[in-house]
Amino acid sequence: MAAVAVQRDRASFMRIYDHYAPRLQRYLRNLGVPESMADELVQEVLLTLWRKAAMFDPARASLATWLYRVARNLYIDQVRREPHWLPIQEGLDRLDDDESSRLDSQPESCFDQDILKQAIDRLPPGQAKLVRMGYLESKSHSEISAELNMPLGSVKSSLRRAFAKLQASMRAPR
Amino acid sequence: MTPNHHLDDATLLSYSAGALPMGLAVVAATHLERCVACRTHLHEADQIGGVLIQQQRVDAPTEAARAAMLALLDAEPTIESLAPPPDVVAERDPDRLPSALQPWFGTSIRALRWRRVAPGVQRIRASGINGGDLMLLRVAPGSKLPLHSHQGNELTVILDGAYDDMLGHFGPGDAADLDGETTHQPVTSPGLSCICVAATDAPLKFSGWIARTLQLVLGF
Repeated sequence: MAAVAVQRDRASFMRIYDHYAPRLQRYLRNLGVPESMADELVQEVLLTLWRKAAMFDPARASLATWLYRVARNLYIDQVRREPHWLPIQEGLDRLDDDESSRLDSQPESCFDQDILKQAIDRLPPGQAKLVRMGYLESKSHSEISAELNMPLGSVKSSLRRAFAKLQASMRAPR
Repeated sequence: MTPNHHLDDATLLSYSAGALPMGLAVVAATHLERCVACRTHLHEADQIGGVLIQQQRVDAPTEAARAAMLALLDAEPTIESLAPPPDVVAERDPDRLPSALQPWFGTSIRALRWRRVAPGVQRIRASGINGGDLMLLRVAPGSKLPLHSHQGNELTVILDGAYDDMLGHFGPGDAADLDGETTHQPVTSPGLSCICVAATDAPLKFSGWIARTLQLVLGF
């Protein structure tokens, strides 16, 4: 990643592309984005990385998270056509930048992704299903509740329990 | 001031997943602007999204797709333009609406054009909210609202003034993130009107305290 930022290294960039482009494509297709539009959005996500490589801070977020956020934001902006979403997210990001410079402290170091992966794999199947429906199908609590014929309160409490377990894995000392 | 009442973690998860209905997302962002703790939780939720997309099984990209990407890199200017400096953050102006609300309601609280909907209650509804409702409410000081519960989700963030209910004291920046399991009876604090932003995810189901206020007690 540093090579992409400093040397504008196309080979390093294309290694990132080879890994993430098909995953981002799958993510967008699962959200119902038509194939040609998904291809364009994936290119736009990766092009954003190419342009902003110097602004990517591995201490703040993993590359996967960074790309996920860019893809999600473009999906909401360009597919769902909610024009105010992007500026609001950028505003929140700037607040975090201000906060970390004001505190003059090291931001939380990036946790070990493998530990989070294992924690996701260890979730009870019911909780894992709800988490995936939320993230990978972008289903609201009410939609999940209707689709699974499950009370809204149970959907939310299951998601809360799942999040607590995953947070614990991210915060565990290494 | 640091908020004392926060977004439900299930709400944050849904926000991160881009799955929160539009009005609720606007109110959630209003709280996030003021709450470092909830922004930290949101970053954790984003990490989950990052891992989930990584875990998908996929095939390698085609040569044609790689060639298209490389062609786009060729077309990029070689000199990287500097990122624009962040906006100058003004000192907290009590008249300024939170950034997340400005696209819907403008920038100034003083300039809001309230519409009286019942004695002591004024409202401004946002237009163009898909799948729900988003509104600003101004409730006169010392108003006691009826005991009620909620259907669906209702998310409220206090902008000015305060109210108390069985869940505690809610002041500026605090979020009341409620669903059908909560029954409460807010009483606005004396002295200052309580201005809040509220969203529901169920259009035409006016069942939260807002609606009950309008429909039952105040004869709306």
